[in-house]
Parts: sequence; structure tokens; C-alpha cells
Amino acid sequence: MIEARGLTKHYGSKTAVDGISFTAQPGSVTGFLGPNGAGKSTTMRMIMGLDRPDAGTVTVNGKPYVQHRSPLTEVGALLEAKAVHPGRSAYNHLLALAATHGLPKSRVGQVIEMTGLEAVAKKRVGGFSLGMGQRLGIAAALLGDPKTLILDEPVNGLDPEGVLWVRNLAKQLAGEGRTVFLSSHLMSEVALTADRVLVIGRGKILADAPVQEFIDGGSTRSVRVRSPHAAQLAALIARDGVTVTAADEPGLLTATGIDAAAIGEAAAAAGLTLHELSPVSSTLEEAYMSLTADSVEYHTTGAPTAPTTQGEAR
Amino acid sequence: MTTATSAGAPAPSVQPYPGSRYHLTFGRVLSSEWVKFRSLRSTLWTLLITVVVMVGFTALIAAVWRSNIDSISQDPDAVGLGGVDALTIGVNFAQLAIAVLGALTIAGEYSTGMIRSTFSMVPRRTPALLAKALLVALVTFVVTGVATVISYLVAVPFLSGTVFALDLSDASTLRVLVGIPLYLSAIAVLAMGVGALVRNSAGAIFSLVALLLVIPGVFSGVPLKWMNTLAEYLPSQAGNQLLTANPTGSLSSWAGFGVMVVWAVVAFGAAVVIAKRRDA
Repeated sequence: MIEARGLTKHYGSKTAVDGISFTAQPGSVTGFLGPNGAGKSTTMRMIMGLDRPDAGTVTVNGKPYVQHRSPLTEVGALLEAKAVHPGRSAYNHLLALAATHGLPKSRVGQVIEMTGLEAVAKKRVGGFSLGMGQRLGIAAALLGDPKTLILDEPVNGLDPEGVLWVRNLAKQLAGEGRTVFLSSHLMSEVALTADRVLVIGRGKILADAPVQEFIDGGSTRSVRVRSPHAAQLAALIARDGVTVTAADEPGLLTATGIDAAAIGEAAAAAGLTLHELSPVSSTLEEAYMSLTADSVEYHTTGAPTAPTTQGEAR
Repeated sequence: MTTATSAGAPAPSVQPYPGSRYHLTFGRVLSSEWVKFRSLRSTLWTLLITVVVMVGFTALIAAVWRSNIDSISQDPDAVGLGGVDALTIGVNFAQLAIAVLGALTIAGEYSTGMIRSTFSMVPRRTPALLAKALLVALVTFVVTGVATVISYLVAVPFLSGTVFALDLSDASTLRVLVGIPLYLSAIAVLAMGVGALVRNSAGAIFSLVALLLVIPGVFSGVPLKWMNTLAEYLPSQAGNQLLTANPTGSLSSWAGFGVMVVWAVVAFGAAVVIAKRRDA
């Protein structure tokens, strides 16, 4: 269990994390979702006692991380793949971590096997690929058989097989009653893995809900209508709670707040021809994008999708 | 009867964890630091270089003295040097290798990101830094102690029968032989402190070369009395009082070493205070 209350961190004049509060429950995977620079890694470092919060508190399994007598068996963390000395072998790295808590050498062998690192365990980490570094980080997180796992962008650099393995591992660990707190900047990844999603943007929590609720809440279902009588039809169906948007293409409308059946019936009653009538549900990615659109720290120039203007057809 | 779990939230069956046997102790942190120390090539190389420099310079100096013995006064007081001083010159070079070793044990972790793993394992941080300092001081003491014994044995045949003949019953000879590993251990701790404060390998090594070689050279070379006095209190100058058969200057041998230990303790103490406050 992870509990944050009013957690705040400034770097100079920049506020990286702005008074966030959340709870990650045992027995479930909590996805921590946000664009790059939103404050995910800073939050995770504060949970691990590496960065000191400017305000607020965060506890893991009931205590601030630093107060645990056995941190390695309480919390396992993959904070970044390169928290390793490149001159040391994977085996010796894990052995040094295990030694702090008196874990047996056999446990080091077990996590090496679990993460598929047997072939490279005796090689120096400096020569590892991103994916192997990531596996080593996950091996370190699993080392103490911890009650809580904190995984910062665990699928970064993994091949498709590795991505699938991480997803299944996260679900399995949560199924065993552990708290799994996993960050990603990819909505699709969180949707496939997490039970609950916590969206962060510019240091603030934007959403905190079960994954399905977030998808339903964040998306507005719309209907695409194509008709030679677009302007007439728009006037006909326009009422409170209904938004009709004209697309760039003449004769094409997007209506929200009204279902396809109602539009069809209205058109039939008025004798208007319809060429297309199709319900459109927005994707997860769209729900996430619309939520974080204002809080993206690093915009690319030139938006990938043109924003629709509302009410043009009225 | 009502249950503790709230309705709707399924109570997950948390497996029992065998966590009680496995927890942090200082001894375990120390053994972890030993694993880290022995598993890097750079530490083994710097130790090897230290031994080679110490023994090599002793052999060289002893051989030079031997071959020029006819031109050297046979009156020990007039010479001003003791036979054991043949060992000290190499120490002044070996101290740089030890300084690199001490600085790298911690600055190497900061530059690679390893420090975040270390402080995740030992979140209170002080035990990790203390274990590192203790380990680097112990290893330095043992390795340079062995190198001192080898150097001594190498020097004996060269210097026997001369004014520089080595004699273990001589108090100042014994003091220097014990002093060499003590001095280098203090350098190791000082360097670790500087490495933790600077947090960057190159920066730490530069600072140490300045502190141990450049600044003492400048301070004692400038014809200003107060600067020359100040120079005697710099760590390497003060510590050198322990390493010469006939120390000159205002500090006695052990007082000089005491000043050096104060430098090392202050540097390490500052490193601990800063490391606990700063973000890793």
C-alpha cells in the first residue's frame, strides 16, 4: 500500500509535483500515467526516500520508506534501468544488493532465472542493451520478494515478448496480494495492465479511477452523420446537451449527446436523406490525450490531429 | 458480526512473507560494500598500482643511495635523513592512487546512478557511507601495510652497512613503518569524503590533487611566514610529520597525524550531513 498526502516537490522555481494525494491498494495494479515531465519519476523517487518532499508525506506499507527496518522486503523498485555501476557484473550487482539484508546467494540466482538473465549474468552491465538493463532492474525489484513494487516505465526498451512478460508479471504480483505501482506514458500499456489509473499532468492528479471508469468518463461517445442536407439536419437535432460539429468535409457532421437512433428517426420524420450514420466511441488514447492536452510539458510543434471547432453548423 | 473489510472491496489474500529473517544490519551493509569493492576492476587496479609504486620507489631510492654512498656524509645528523625515509618518497606518489581509490568508491556511484540503488537499500544513508569509509580505510591499511613490509625487506640489503642501515629497534623507524599505512588510510577516508561532497569522479580527483599536492607546494613555497605555517596544517603536510625519520616544523609526528585525521573526519562528517540532506 502506498499513501501520498499533499506531496509536493520543487526544483528551483519549477514545481515538479504539486500537492498530490493518492492511494495505491494492495492486490491491484495501479497505473501511474502521464506525459514525459509530468512528475511521475519525481513522485516515485519521493516514495523511495531518494528525493525529499518540500511538503506532504508519503508512506509505503504504513511507514515512510526510510523508517523500514527491512526496506528490500517491503518495497522493490525499478526506478531507472541505469542505477547500476557499468563496471560490475549483473550477478555481483544483485549480490551486493542482497547482501545488505542478508538474503542468500540462492535468491540472486532465482531472480536472474526469473528475468531470463542467466546468459549475461556474469557479464559487465556496461555492455547491456536497454532491454537487458531493464530486466536487471526488474530482477533487483523482485530480489526481496517485496510486498510493494514500484516500476517506473518497466516496458521501456523491451521487445514484444518482454512487454508481455512484464504485463503478466505485474498482474501475477498483484494477484498474490501485493501492491503494484507502475508508471507509463502510454495509455494503452496502462489499460492492458492496470486495474486503476492515476493520471498526472504538470505535477497534479488529473484523474484517479478504475481503468474502465476512466475510459468511459474521459470519452464522449459521438455519432458521425453524412447527409446532403447537413445544415438542415444539424438545426433539426440541435437542442440542449447536443453538440453538432461540422467536419472539414462538406456534408459530414459529428454529433455528441444524442444517439444514432434518435438522429435516424429525426431524419426520417423530416424526410432527409442520410448517407452515413455511425456511432463512434473514442479510444483510450483519445481520452488520455484530451485529459492531458493542457498539461503536456514538451509539445511537439504541429499538432497531429486538428482540433474540431464546436457549433459551426448551428 | 461485521467484518473489517469494507463492502465491495474484495479482501486479497496476502501471502505470508518470510521477511523477518532478512533485514538491514551494519555488518550486512559492510559485507555488501565488500562485494561492491571487490567486483570492480578499477579498485583492484588502483591497489596494485599503489603496491608497485611503494615498492618500486623504495628499491629505486635505496639503490641510488647505495651507489652514491661514498659521496654522502657518514654522520647521520649531518645527513638529516634516516634509512626509513627511502620508503616515504614512494608514499607521496602512492597517496594519489589511494586518493583515487577513496574518491571513486563513492563518486563512481554518483556518476553512474548506482547511488540510487545503494540509498534504496540503505535509506538512512549514514550506515552505507560509514561502511564504505571503514572498508576503504581497512583495505588500504592492510594492503599498504603489506607493501610497507615488502618495501622494508627490499631496502634492507641495499642499505645495510651504510649510514642509512635500517634498524627495527630504532623508535623513529618503527614509527614511520606503522605511520605509512595509517597515513594512507587517512588519505582514503579524506578522499571518500571529498568524493561524496563533489559527487563526480573527475572533479573529486582534481580537488584531491589540488589539496594534497598543489596547494601545499604553493603555500610552503611562497616567502610569507604565515602561509608557510598554514601549509604545515594542510592534510598531507601535517601527516608527513609521521613519515619522516627526523621531522622538522612546528608539529610533532603524532600531532601532525592528528591534524590529518581531523581533516579526514571533518570531510567525512560533512559528506554524511550533506548526503542525508541532498536528493540522490
